[in-house]
Amino acid sequence: MKEKPFWSPYAGGIGLGITLLLAFVFMGRGLGASGAMMRFTTWVVDVFAHDHVMANPYFAKYAEHPFSNWLVFEIIGVMIGGFLSGMLAGRNKWRTGRGPNITKHKRWLLAFIGGAIMGFGARLSRGCTSGLALTGGATLAVGGWVFMFAVFGAAFATAYFVRKQWI
Amino acid sequence: MKEVAITSGRMNHGVDPLLHAWGWEIPLYLFLGGLVAGILFFSAFFYLRHRENVFTAAIKVAPLYTPVFLAIGLAALFLDLSHKLYFWRLYTTIRWESPMSWGAWTLLFIFPLSVIWAAFWVKDVYPNWDWKFPIIEKTIAWLAQFKKWFAWSLILFSGILGMYTGILLSAFNARPFWNTSILGPLFLVSGLSTGAAFILLISRSEQERHRFSQIDSFLIGTELFLIIHMFMGFLASTSVQIHAAEMFLGGPYTAIFWTFVVGIGLLLPLLIEIMELRGVTVPAVIPAMLVLFGGLMLRFVVVDAGQSSRWLYKFMEQLVF
Repeated sequence: MKEKPFWSPYAGGIGLGITLLLAFVFMGRGLGASGAMMRFTTWVVDVFAHDHVMANPYFAKYAEHPFSNWLVFEIIGVMIGGFLSGMLAGRNKWRTGRGPNITKHKRWLLAFIGGAIMGFGARLSRGCTSGLALTGGATLAVGGWVFMFAVFGAAFATAYFVRKQWI
Repeated sequence: MKEVAITSGRMNHGVDPLLHAWGWEIPLYLFLGGLVAGILFFSAFFYLRHRENVFTAAIKVAPLYTPVFLAIGLAALFLDLSHKLYFWRLYTTIRWESPMSWGAWTLLFIFPLSVIWAAFWVKDVYPNWDWKFPIIEKTIAWLAQFKKWFAWSLILFSGILGMYTGILLSAFNARPFWNTSILGPLFLVSGLSTGAAFILLISRSEQERHRFSQIDSFLIGTELFLIIHMFMGFLASTSVQIHAAEMFLGGPYTAIFWTFVVGIGLLLPLLIEIMELRGVTVPAVIPAMLVLFGGLMLRFVVVDAGQSSRWLYKFMEQLVF
């Protein structure tokens, strides 16, 4: 099946904004993502080291069962939606997104390190791009806007040093 | 002061407020039983329609798994028993009014039937298979004359196996969520659907995958119809059934049931299979795994939720809540 072209990013952005609005309308709260990962990993740690989780005030807050929280279901929905969108556009393939000047394994390693730094940063700032920047920005929370500027600033500053992954 | 002594069989913390006696063993067995029923039904059905060279996975390969699945299911059932050493007493009587008796005897017949049926096809799938003892080879060759009879009895017994689990649950009139006659057909259709999904999973032929995608879509649609009508039936019954249905319409089982059983287990694979039949390429493993997952979750949720539903006397409601 031939791959269909991507939508215009402006159309995608408006669609995402409408989704965010509908989240407020139906759930009374905005979108989020890193909270779901946080609850899931806390649950896994809880299975092995319950006392440690309870003793740590940050963990203890997230220690309830992951499926009693809306965010976890939202993330499951995100994965299903992404899969369906890829299926309808003929884009569902096993592949590694990378440029011509880097090997697959190096790309995976850098992706893992970058993801770990991003996850740490997301919990440090109490949200990632969807929860903090999107939802926080929509409600004009200062933290959301500071976060967004910081993300772009840091990306511009460091992009030169990791350019070999894509060009 | 006057003292009044109340004695009731309910004054037992194992009974009130909630009697939960069944853990993971029963839902696992219900799932495996339905899966085996589906596999054997399709295998026998398409054999009788002379499709053994077209639908090889359905007729020849899938039945090879059934004795293993049945064994695991029966082991789970055995683990659930409180008095394990007395399991044989089920086979000292046939009680026509008891679904459990039906089930025990059906399993007793279907296990050797599935082993023999699998034995008929094992040499077609694994040409280097060696029975080691010539007597086995001779017996199977002799029994192979009656393949048609085996196929017809498999259709009968797999139908009973798929349906009796639902009828067994629906016979509990003290559990209003189970006490609906739709549960029998629902479990049968779910079992057939998981069987079709399993065949879809292991099939290597484009034509077979296409056909079983069609069959599975139809069965999933039927299952959705039955689930909706089950809830409509509950909401149109007495207040006890309405309370049971409300567990799923705003109560504790809402998210799990409508997301995992209906959403991921039925609607999503139906959508993917319809897209597949219209030309979008999707690896067949995905809707198959989703249907199998949905069938397993259906059993777990129905068994757990049924045990949470009960008939409550008015004054008990005030005590408990």
